[in-house]
Amino acid sequence: MRDAVQDEIIEQFGGLEWLDRYSLLISFGRELEPMDEKFRTEENSIGGCQSKAWVRAYEVDGRLMFNADSEAMITRGIISLLLKVVNNRSPREILDLDLYFLDEIGLKSNLSPARADGLASIIRRIRELAEGEVN
Amino acid sequence: MTDYSKDYSKDFPILEKEIYGKRLVYLDNAATSQKPDSVIRTLSEFYRSDNSNIHRGVHYLSEISSERYEKAREKVSDFIGADDPVDVTFTAGTTDSINQVACSLKPILEGNEVLISGVEHHSNIVPWQLAGAKLRAIPMDENCNLLPDSIEITDRTKMIAISHASNVLGSVNPVKEITEIAKEHDVPVLVDAAQSIQHLPIDVRDIGCDFLAFSGHKMYAATGVGVLYTSERFSDIMPSRGGGGMIDRVTLERTTYLKPPLRFEAGTPHIAGAISIGAAIDYMQNIGMDHIRKREHEVYSYAREKLLGTDGVTVYGNTDLMCGSISFNLDEIHHYDTGLILDKLGIAVRTGHHCAQPLMRTLGTEGTVRASFALYNTKEDADRLLEGMEKVRMMYA
Repeated sequence: MRDAVQDEIIEQFGGLEWLDRYSLLISFGRELEPMDEKFRTEENSIGGCQSKAWVRAYEVDGRLMFNADSEAMITRGIISLLLKVVNNRSPREILDLDLYFLDEIGLKSNLSPARADGLASIIRRIRELAEGEVN
Repeated sequence: MTDYSKDYSKDFPILEKEIYGKRLVYLDNAATSQKPDSVIRTLSEFYRSDNSNIHRGVHYLSEISSERYEKAREKVSDFIGADDPVDVTFTAGTTDSINQVACSLKPILEGNEVLISGVEHHSNIVPWQLAGAKLRAIPMDENCNLLPDSIEITDRTKMIAISHASNVLGSVNPVKEITEIAKEHDVPVLVDAAQSIQHLPIDVRDIGCDFLAFSGHKMYAATGVGVLYTSERFSDIMPSRGGGGMIDRVTLERTTYLKPPLRFEAGTPHIAGAISIGAAIDYMQNIGMDHIRKREHEVYSYAREKLLGTDGVTVYGNTDLMCGSISFNLDEIHHYDTGLILDKLGIAVRTGHHCAQPLMRTLGTEGTVRASFALYNTKEDADRLLEGMEKVRMMYA
């Protein structure tokens, strides 16, 4: 099922050369609200990334809000896009989401577990956090 | 005057490749080197015409492959200046070589101490820990150069294990000086030559080490094969693994082992891989190790000076003799970001901690960008790297 937030991202990235895509990711990365130092804990950290990354979630009126960060700016950019898509949804909606935008803007290879940015682990953590809220 | 500008990249088919529409600039040679056509052909021809198991058959092909395998051992022996080819064992690589030594010497190492340097790769740290040894680092100066005069050897020091060249900084460690000190105390020395065998002429008699470990794949040969040189005085150590091909006589009560090198080569070895090391040695010797060293030094120094002269670039490590790797960071930009962008410009570098976390802590960084050079790299490759870095910086401006 198409999703308006993801479609908007795809439109922004459509037709861009690789370096322009990265430039755009860098600017999204800069916009991402930094995670408070006190939340950068072992518990919230994601293993297997070349750049350290952290994810946490909190609930507002039955909807999940995520707060995530990374040391690398391009990874922050990708996180920023991810959060636009997953934030403010019910846990069930998050679990049902097909994150097709990653593929369509050319970041599918970043989803491979072999990639060092740990995007796959970040998404897994987001799903685990949502799952925890469903049960 | 010798011409150091010859383009050797023509010998390496993969270097013709374009990545994202740009000529590949391969600067990840400390991870693995590319293979020259002669090595690729040797591997393919071995499987096409000579493939057979070694030392076991009575048949024609087995004789041929055994001969070729033993010929490769002789080439390695000559290449590193060993007294006798029997001192050369084929292993699965540097990590395997070091693990074998640590495992064989475990009864001596357990509860005692191994001296290493603070620039070691994890494969020269973890095997000793697994053998139950405590590790102590030889003191370094602020540029991460070892201070051999500060080596403290105690009764508990049972091994000194040092990398010849750092996989991160490219600095060459004073291994000869260290072995001389070790000899006074009768402590064996293992030299990890994974990052030097492809760059510098190496002579084990001159260095005076008891063990030398290196990998085939970083010296233009196949992956999954390497070498362990063992000096004669350690030729009777217990093998760390058992199986076919290494025994003299087996009974259920007791087994006796063959003499080295077969004693240390249980099971079917990587026959084609060993032969590919021979072919890689032929390739390098044809050019000449002195020529390789001087040519690489020109390109390496050029790249290093350019990086040092670039605003906002921090280059790590500094010593008189360097080879292979240069580690750096650009401004406050995360090494991973720099690597991702360089990749899209067709430039292959490595980023991260390079399996040397203790060194990263010393350098005060989580990771670096590492450009590592081989004999086919040119000043033009260095220029492409510098242009790439400029691009990275512009994207962050």
